[in-house]
Amino acid sequence: MAMCAALRCVSAALPLLTRPAPIWTCQNSLRPNILRTLYTSSRLSGALKFTDKHEWVRVDGTVGTVGISNFAQEALGDVVYCGLPEVGTKLEQMEEFGALESVKAASELYSPLNGEVTEINTNLTDNPGLVNKACYEDGWLIKMTIEKPAELDELMDEAAYEKFIKSLDS
Amino acid sequence: MILRLSNRACVLSGSARLKSTLSTFFDEMGKAGIVLKSASTGIFENLALEDWIHDRVDLQNRSMLLLWRNSPVVVIGRHQNPWQECNLPLMRRLGIPLARRRSGGGTVFHDFGNINMTFFTSKKKYDRHRNLKVVTRALKALRPDLDVAASDRFDILLNGHYKISGTAAKLGRTSAYHHCTLLCSVDRSILPSVLKSNTSEVIKSSATPSVPSPVKNLLDVDPTLDSNTIMDAIASQYSNEFGFDSPVIKVDPTHEGLMPGIHKMAQDLQTWEWIYGRTPKFSVCSSIVVEDVTIKLDMDIKNGAVEQCAMEIPENWLPSEMVNEFTSTLNGSKYCPNETAVLVAAFMRTVSMTADVAVKIHRLCAGVVSVM
Repeated sequence: MAMCAALRCVSAALPLLTRPAPIWTCQNSLRPNILRTLYTSSRLSGALKFTDKHEWVRVDGTVGTVGISNFAQEALGDVVYCGLPEVGTKLEQMEEFGALESVKAASELYSPLNGEVTEINTNLTDNPGLVNKACYEDGWLIKMTIEKPAELDELMDEAAYEKFIKSLDS
Repeated sequence: MILRLSNRACVLSGSARLKSTLSTFFDEMGKAGIVLKSASTGIFENLALEDWIHDRVDLQNRSMLLLWRNSPVVVIGRHQNPWQECNLPLMRRLGIPLARRRSGGGTVFHDFGNINMTFFTSKKKYDRHRNLKVVTRALKALRPDLDVAASDRFDILLNGHYKISGTAAKLGRTSAYHHCTLLCSVDRSILPSVLKSNTSEVIKSSATPSVPSPVKNLLDVDPTLDSNTIMDAIASQYSNEFGFDSPVIKVDPTHEGLMPGIHKMAQDLQTWEWIYGRTPKFSVCSSIVVEDVTIKLDMDIKNGAVEQCAMEIPENWLPSEMVNEFTSTLNGSKYCPNETAVLVAAFMRTVSMTADVAVKIHRLCAGVVSVM
């Protein structure tokens, strides 16, 4: 009960309970135990898994939502066009499934898993900038089935991904 | 395996050992930087050569510069709409083909007076500004008084105003390429007309648009500057800029033995599905006049095919049943004048109609095709 109240309090204080990065590098004055609660609840509700190509997958039952990470969207620059596959397209892990065009270049997108595309984010047609503004939420790219759940275990969790991108700077 | 033509240039032809490919040849050379010149002037062969190098050559510890020129062609960016970017009927009349490249960016016209340069690097070393410095410094080394400079948009401007070079790029798994054009002596009587669409006002699309710019040829400011001299200067400056000792190698991109899979890459780039079918979804909303009758035409085009077609035609000119049959014929067909003409001809053979109606259908077809 108290936990619920704390959560409600916190969600009013934070603008978005969604981006993992701000929760870790928290700059507000929340008490540590509330932070731990948030961290735990984000894991329970569909933790993010990352590829070394800077794509993320969030699992919800049998469907995975795919997008690109904050690191990737920053490196890309302003996205001006999202070239996404058709619904029903079968994808293999690491197969190229589309491209994002930004002021920097046309950048290929690689499937994190084996599966079939069930939905594409049509909001990106008129608003490709969502990929930059909300890469973990409204800027999602596709949803797909997960043919081989074991593949998820091969991907990095949030902590491992953070370590990975720090190692890239060196 | 290698025929030496001169000290610095050598031509690769045939392969002494069965498993030798261009890739293994580069590995064996052990050079950190290599300059290539394509022996082909075919756009699809040259785009395939780019794809092949990008996919098959190890670019983690090696960079490459490819210099190439093409016979007249219009090249659109990966996510562009050709109906919005160029005058397709004019290009068909002039025999100028259309190609879609895999990098982003806008639409350009190539002919022998244009030099293309592709800078291949690892993703880490991707640096467009540095690449463009190679070009501007090469030009200034040839003609110190030349006012050429790269802009924020990665264009190169002559005299601060005229665009002489545009840039596009592609980022892959581990490597990247940045390519750019350079206007030396391009036919400027053709360029503006082919790059101006005849139907852009009737198209509504989310495709990436080009940014039109006034252009000039380097030849216009210095008639002694020719493409070969410029290419040599760029090759030289590339080595200087990056500290390479690059040989210049001429490559024949039709050589399947040296570059296995390159033939299929060139074929893939020529399919209707790639060139036209990759156009992002768009709609056409146009009024055409046939026999003094104004007809409103609405079409949705997806993957280059007519997804939906509707026409508003006065009932007394053509009965609505006939109009509906006509539009159903177009549904699912390629947004292409030839295909449409063939379908309508078949329609006219299979549906019974008076001679009077047949003439109207024929003229209606011509009107519809005029926006393709």
